[in-house]
Amino acid sequence: MTTRLGIEQQRLADITIVRLKGRIEVEEGVDALRDYLNNLVKDGHIRLVLDMKDVTRLDSAGIGVLAARYLTTARRGGAIKLLHLTERTAHLMEITKLSSVFEIFDDENEAVRSFAAAAGAT
Amino acid sequence: MTDQPVDVSRRILLVDDDRALRHALASLLVEAGHLVETAGDGPEALTKLEAGPFDIVLLDIGLPSMSGLEVLARTRALAVPPLVVMMTADDTPETLLEAVRRQAYRYLRKPFAPRAIVDVINEVGAPGAVLSIEVVSASPEWLEIIAPCTFEIAERLHSFIMHLEATLPEAVRESVAQAFRELLTNAIEWGGKLDPNRKVRISCVRARRMLLYRISDPGEGFDIERLRHAAISNPADDPIRHLLVREEQGLRPGGFGLAMTRSLVDELIFNEARNEVMFIKYLE
Repeated sequence: MTTRLGIEQQRLADITIVRLKGRIEVEEGVDALRDYLNNLVKDGHIRLVLDMKDVTRLDSAGIGVLAARYLTTARRGGAIKLLHLTERTAHLMEITKLSSVFEIFDDENEAVRSFAAAAGAT
Repeated sequence: MTDQPVDVSRRILLVDDDRALRHALASLLVEAGHLVETAGDGPEALTKLEAGPFDIVLLDIGLPSMSGLEVLARTRALAVPPLVVMMTADDTPETLLEAVRRQAYRYLRKPFAPRAIVDVINEVGAPGAVLSIEVVSASPEWLEIIAPCTFEIAERLHSFIMHLEATLPEAVRESVAQAFRELLTNAIEWGGKLDPNRKVRISCVRARRMLLYRISDPGEGFDIERLRHAAISNPADDPIRHLLVREEQGLRPGGFGLAMTRSLVDELIFNEARNEVMFIKYLE
């Protein structure tokens, strides 16, 4: 079986915006996303914004990858922030209580600026 | 956008009596790198199938002279049966269930976006790897099947459930399909150990005011008190504590399935051993 998850990356100074397109489910995109995020973190990119606008399906395995990489980046002093959640994805974040863990944004500039705000606060 | 590479080119037989649609879909699939032959009716399709082989058949149900369901049944007698994706505007439960009984691989409701056909082709596995689903009951009110413990089966069944519950409001349908997939994935992965020789038994009962799904797996069950690696064991103020346990135990990231499912349906009930689970969604 092939995965159809599309991943596109954009750098803004030390912030990386990762645009995801397709399904993030067990056997279908989860491994690709996990490996991609692992490589980013390994290369020192720990301030990440994940644009979820075009994520068509997300299951518990996909949510698990997001949450696990959240932990990984937080341990290194970074963060993963979520952008443009669909109604369905926002609902899943709500019922898993991860909406209280991730910072979630509807505006890309605001998501990017939030890293500076967090740095200024510390 | 860096899509994962698509599998090697597939040999596809496209069967539809609509000449314009046949031409449009064939062009799209050829452009996507596949080898495509076409047929306009059942007898022509069978002739080409016998001369085959084909990896995938895209098969309209409403064909002249011989129904697509009959062609589907005949493909099962081939030495290496191709994967058959049914395409039709007739999405009544009876038609869908007959397609399931005859081992259709997927089901595409017309009209569909042209890209959908390419996506389905990209998703499917190799024909020889496709396992059979045993249909115990296929009435619209009571579907009962026995299926091997593989992720591929979970994907196939998820697709059918989404079509079977097509009359439900979208949000309800998505919740039911997601709950079903999460529980089925658990049953297949943990109960069946992803062993295609082991089977899960699935019942979907549709009453006037509720949907009831029951999944029985071949495992020994589990002790809910020992599910420290699952989100349902987390304290209310720490929704990701279980991830630390999963790291210690070397488990893949996850563990949110039961917590999610509990919120997606109205009732979630396990048997004593917890190798059978039932969920209910009440209908307004």
